[in-house]
Amino acid sequence: MTVAAQQTAPGTAPNGGGGRRVVVRDVWKSYTQGSYAVRDVGFALEPGEFLTLLGPSGSGKTTTLMMVAGFETPSRGEIRVDGIDVAGLPPELRNFGIVFQGYALFPHKSVVDNVEFALLMRGISRRERRRRALDMLDKVGLAGLAARRPRELSGGQQQRVALARALVFEPDALLLDEPLGALDRKLRETLQAEIKEIQRRVGISILYVTHDQDEAMTMSDRIAVMNQGRIVQIGTPAELYLHPATPFVADFLGETNLLTATCLGTDGGHVRLRFADGTIGWAVAARDGVARRIGDPVTVAVRPERTRVLRRADAAETAIDGIVVGGTFLGRHARYVVAALGGRLVVSIAGGSPEPALEPGAAVRLGWSRDDAQILGEPDAPPEPDPSGPIATFGSQALRESAH
Amino acid sequence: MASPDRGRSRRRYRLMVAACVPLLGFLVLPTLVILPMALTGGDLIVFPPQGFSVHAFADYLGDRQWIQSTIMSFEIAVLAVSIAALAGTSAAVALHGRRFPGKGIVTGLILAPIVVPLVVLGLGDYLLFAALGVLGGWVGIGVAHGVLVTPYVFISVATSLTAGLNPALVRSARSLGARPAAVLWHVHWPALRPGLCAGAVLAFAVSFDEVVLAWFLQGPQATTLPVRMFTAVQFELTPKIMASASLFIALATVTLLAQALIARPRRELA
Repeated sequence: MTVAAQQTAPGTAPNGGGGRRVVVRDVWKSYTQGSYAVRDVGFALEPGEFLTLLGPSGSGKTTTLMMVAGFETPSRGEIRVDGIDVAGLPPELRNFGIVFQGYALFPHKSVVDNVEFALLMRGISRRERRRRALDMLDKVGLAGLAARRPRELSGGQQQRVALARALVFEPDALLLDEPLGALDRKLRETLQAEIKEIQRRVGISILYVTHDQDEAMTMSDRIAVMNQGRIVQIGTPAELYLHPATPFVADFLGETNLLTATCLGTDGGHVRLRFADGTIGWAVAARDGVARRIGDPVTVAVRPERTRVLRRADAAETAIDGIVVGGTFLGRHARYVVAALGGRLVVSIAGGSPEPALEPGAAVRLGWSRDDAQILGEPDAPPEPDPSGPIATFGSQALRESAH
Repeated sequence: MASPDRGRSRRRYRLMVAACVPLLGFLVLPTLVILPMALTGGDLIVFPPQGFSVHAFADYLGDRQWIQSTIMSFEIAVLAVSIAALAGTSAAVALHGRRFPGKGIVTGLILAPIVVPLVVLGLGDYLLFAALGVLGGWVGIGVAHGVLVTPYVFISVATSLTAGLNPALVRSARSLGARPAAVLWHVHWPALRPGLCAGAVLAFAVSFDEVVLAWFLQGPQATTLPVRMFTAVQFELTPKIMASASLFIALATVTLLAQALIARPRRELA
C-alpha cells in the first residue's frame, strides 16, 4: 500500500487539527406530514473519532449524514460544530469534507485541479492553492499523478483523490457516504485500510455511513446502529457485538442465537434464568435500564462462537444438554446445529481444536460463562407520535437551496 | 458448411442495396439537381442546364440586394441563436433534475414553437410586432426566430445534462464551498457545452433558411435571403437562385459535419 510509507509519525495530526466536535441533538426529519425518515437522532462525533452510522437501507443513516452535510434540513433539532448551530446553513457555508459513493470527481478537471477546487472557492491564491494541493496529494501517495484526469485512474487512486480533495481545506470533519458501496470485496478491504491509514495520518474525525456490518466493525471506533429512522444502539464494535441492546442489533451484527427464558433473579449485573426446557443459566442484564422481575419473560442472545462444547470434566455457569442435528466444516471453523433448550442452537467451533468431530445424533454438552450471554431489550419501540406539536420550519431558506 | 448461409446473406445484402439505393437517390436528388443548374450557361432556370458557366455565382455575388439579404440572414441567425442559447440553456438548467407539479406543462410551453404551425406563429408575430410598431426590421425577424429555435437548444442542452451531469457532482462542488454561480460554471457548463454547441448549430441552420416568419415580418429593408429566393422564383427565375441555393447546401453540409463531430459520445462524462 503506497499511502503507508510516508513521513508523518503515527498519531500526529499534520494540520494540527483533529477536527471539531460535531453534536447532533434531537434531530427529526419528515418529508411528508406525520411520517419520519429520521426520528430523535442524537450523537456526538468527538475530535479524531471514527463513528459509523450502520443500518439497512431506509434506516435513515444517509439522511442523517446529509443533514450534517447540509443537503437536507432537519425538521427539528440541532447540529452543532464546536457549539455553533449549523442546521440552517447551506452545505457550501459549512466546512465538512464529503466523499460520495462513486467519488464524484470533476471529470474534466485534472487531479490537482480537483484537489485545489475547495481552495479556489475560498479565494486562496494560485500559488498557495497549488502548493497545498500537491502537499495533500503527496500525503495520499498520488504526487506523481497530479496532471492526470480522474478517468485515467484506478478505483483506489480515485478514492485517494476524493479524500485529498475533501481534506485539503482542513474541514471540521470528514463525511463518507457509502464510498465503497459499489466495489468488490477484495478492493473494499484494501480501501478500508487506506481510509483508516489516511485518517490516522491526518488526524481528522470521520462520520461514515455503511450498510455493511463487517466494514463498520473493521473501521469504527464507535458504531451507531440505525433502524427505522432511530439510533437503536451506539457503542464500540465489541460492545455492540457482545452486548447488543435489542434483537435487531444482535441479528444485524452477525449470526446469533435468540433464546427465550424466564427471569429467576438478579445478581449484580447478571440475571439468573430458566430456559424453556428447565435448564438454569446466567446472562448479562439488559442494557435498556429496565429491571426484570422474577417470572418476567426475557430474550437472550448468545453468539455461536461464545458457546463452548464441554467435555466431561468441564464445568460452566450455564450448561446445556443437547443432541447434534447437523454440522458443516467451514475451514476456519465448524458450524453445528444442536437441538437444545426446546429449540435449536447454532454453535461455532474454531477449526483445529481438539474437540472430537460431532456426529449427528450424538449427545453433546454446551456451555457459556455468564458474560457471554446477553439479555435483550424489547424489540424496537413502535413509531411514536409527534413529540411536541407542529414541526418548526426554521432554515427554510437553506431547504430551498438544498433542493437544488 | 457456411457457404449456403453466406450465399443467402449475400443475396439479402444485394436485395437491400437494390431497395436502398433508389430510395436514397430519391431523397438526395432534389438537392443534387441544384449544383448543375447553378452552373448553367443560360439566363433562366431550365432543366437540363444549357452549357457551363459560373456567371450565376458572379451575378449573385455582384448583386448588392442579394448580398445584403445574405448578410441580413446571417445577422438574424446570429441574433436568433444568441436568444435561443440564453433562453434554451437557462430553461434546460433550471428544469434539470427538478420534479414539481406542472413540469410537463412548462416543458410543453418551451417546446411549443416547434409544434405550433409556422403560419400561426407568423401571423401572431405579425400582429404583435405591428401593434408594437417594430414591423419590417431585421431585429424583429431575429427575435421571432429566437422564439422558434429556442426548443432546439433546449432539447439539446437538456439531453446533454441528462447524459453527462452526475447529480453528485453538484453536491460535491457545494460541499467544497461552491456557491450557485460557481456550481454553474464548474459543473453545469462543462457538461452542457457539447449540447449547447450542437443545439446552436442546428438553431442557426433552422433560422437561416426559415421563410414563413421572415415572409410575414419582412419589409423593404428587411428581406432575408430565403424570402428573396422565394420571390425570385415567382417573378425572375434567375440562376442566382441556384447559386444562393448552393450556399445553403454548403451550409447544411457544414452543419451536419459539425453535428457529427460535436455530438460524438463523451465517455469522460459518463
